[in-house]
Amino acid sequence: MIFKYDKHNKYHRFARTLLITAVSFVIFVTVWWELSVLANTPAIPNPLQTIDALINLIHKGDTFTGVSLGTYIRSSMTTFIKGFLMALAVALPLGLLLGNFKTLNELATPILEIMRPIAPIAWAPIFMLAVNFRTGPMLVVFVGIFFPLLTNITFGVKKIDPLLVDAAKTLGASQSQIFMKVLLPSTIPYVMNGIKIGLGIGWMCIVAAELYAPPLGGIGFYLAEQATAGYWPGAYAAIVIIAVLGLLTTGVADYIHRFASKRVGVEV
Amino acid sequence: MNKDESTPRKMFDFRKKPMQSADDAAAKNPKTERREKFYADIREGETLLDITDLRIVFKTDEKEIVAVDSFTLSVKKGELISIIGPSGCGKTTILRAIAGLIEPTGGSIRIGGNECKGPGSDRGMIFQDFALFPWRTVRKNVEFGMEIAGIPKEERSERAERYIKLVGLDKFKDARVHELSGGMKQRVGIARAFVNHPEVTLMDEPFGALDAQTRNIMQAQLLRILQNTEQTIIFVTHSVDEALFLSDRVVMLTKRPARINRIIEVPWPRPRDRSDHDFVEMRKAILDELEKENVMN
Ligand SMILES: Nc1ncnc2c1ncn2[C@@H]1O[C@H](COP(=O)(O)OP(=O)(O)OP(=O)(O)O)[C@@H](O)[C@H]1O
Ligand SMILES: [Mg+2]
Repeated sequence: MIFKYDKHNKYHRFARTLLITAVSFVIFVTVWWELSVLANTPAIPNPLQTIDALINLIHKGDTFTGVSLGTYIRSSMTTFIKGFLMALAVALPLGLLLGNFKTLNELATPILEIMRPIAPIAWAPIFMLAVNFRTGPMLVVFVGIFFPLLTNITFGVKKIDPLLVDAAKTLGASQSQIFMKVLLPSTIPYVMNGIKIGLGIGWMCIVAAELYAPPLGGIGFYLAEQATAGYWPGAYAAIVIIAVLGLLTTGVADYIHRFASKRVGVEV
Repeated sequence: MNKDESTPRKMFDFRKKPMQSADDAAAKNPKTERREKFYADIREGETLLDITDLRIVFKTDEKEIVAVDSFTLSVKKGELISIIGPSGCGKTTILRAIAGLIEPTGGSIRIGGNECKGPGSDRGMIFQDFALFPWRTVRKNVEFGMEIAGIPKEERSERAERYIKLVGLDKFKDARVHELSGGMKQRVGIARAFVNHPEVTLMDEPFGALDAQTRNIMQAQLLRILQNTEQTIIFVTHSVDEALFLSDRVVMLTKRPARINRIIEVPWPRPRDRSDHDFVEMRKAILDELEKENVMN
């Protein structure tokens, strides 16, 4: 029997995606392995050694400090979520204000444009030393998530269809009713888009920030500790964990974004 | 509400009494009640909307555009007036000024003797591009104005349901806007405006975005809806055919700045026959005149 690929069949499409992903993964592992053999340095362990270290990490935790993997992950996630919620709490009202009031926006733009290009991680040493090791990483995450979130929300408010505002006015809506019933719902997909982008950047920030914050622990701390001790497979195991968690975070954000866009009927 | 059986004007004959229950429902809301009481002494056929010497000037960096000038028009209660004129002459501007969405540079717009200041639910509007809220279902779109007015939930859904039925969308009341065709979207637009019992409904090329066939269906349906609810309508269109098919009077505008060129009374009872000899003749005469207006200078 000859198999014929039908691109309109969703099972065929799924099988194809699965196959391609598998092949991509095999290529990745092969190249990694070859590289570790060719380079022949302990700094590049082969995949098998990494998996060993990973299993070890999952079962026994950090053998230096006796802290479990779960504790590290929880610590990283807590910092991450705190930073994210803080960014949302500040960016949402600020974005709505900046999108609504032209003069305010013009006033804020020069400041924002100066701050935006600064890599969030550049703030890490300052936050750690000037504030403290507990809140420092959270503030780095905050900075990382804040800007994409703010930009998207402001943009979303400005993009609102003026006809919808007119329609609401002719239906008797007051300014505050327009805000609640027209402006807010129509910016939701933009907020979600900002969250999606922000979460990706925020996740990069948390790991980087933890490198500077030994007392806080977290998966970034474990990575630094293992590398410093010269136990490379452990460092790579940490990277695998970081990648998986990052994938989960962006996956969840992507799902929420698509769900919200569909609910609101506006594509971004 | 007034009954108008004594009104001698033939052109209003096709309209029956307004839907009684819908008006009872409106009367429960104090805001609406006050308004309806106030305008209740205006009988069908009496002047409802009075526009005097309307002038609208847009300022840009380089120049001033006089969009509307010396525009004077009285609209009677229960009347359907069409406005036609060359493209860009200022038709939309006139409607937006009546709706309160732009402030006139000069002149006055009065409804029931009261000067209009800013937008209000006494002047409903139906837009060419529908302007429906995409995050709301059909039912929720229709309920928007009643939500704004603070009408209780049961009454809201009951009234919305009735108007959704009136425009023939009962099967789609829980559909989202993007699932509807253009014709269906505009029927939601009509229900959303009419359900609030506006004193005047302003329609800006409401069927302009629809194909010819859907357009004819919508025109017939609009007339059917008007038989069941009492409405005063100002209807902007590019189509002479549409204007003659629907209206009691057709206002022809000049090129920009929009002034009234001529007002034509359309004498025939509805429903009208497009292939009727008089209809065809009149359409041709108006088209010729519009063309002249377009060619002149
Ligand atoms: N906000 C505005 N600022 C500046 N000029 C405007 C504005 N709105 C409309 N105009 C101008 O006023 C004139 C009348 O516009 P309007 O939209 O009322 O015309 P219209 O008769 O509705 O045209 P159409 O038949 O194409 O719909 C046009 O020349 C237009 O460019
Ligand atoms: Mg127009």
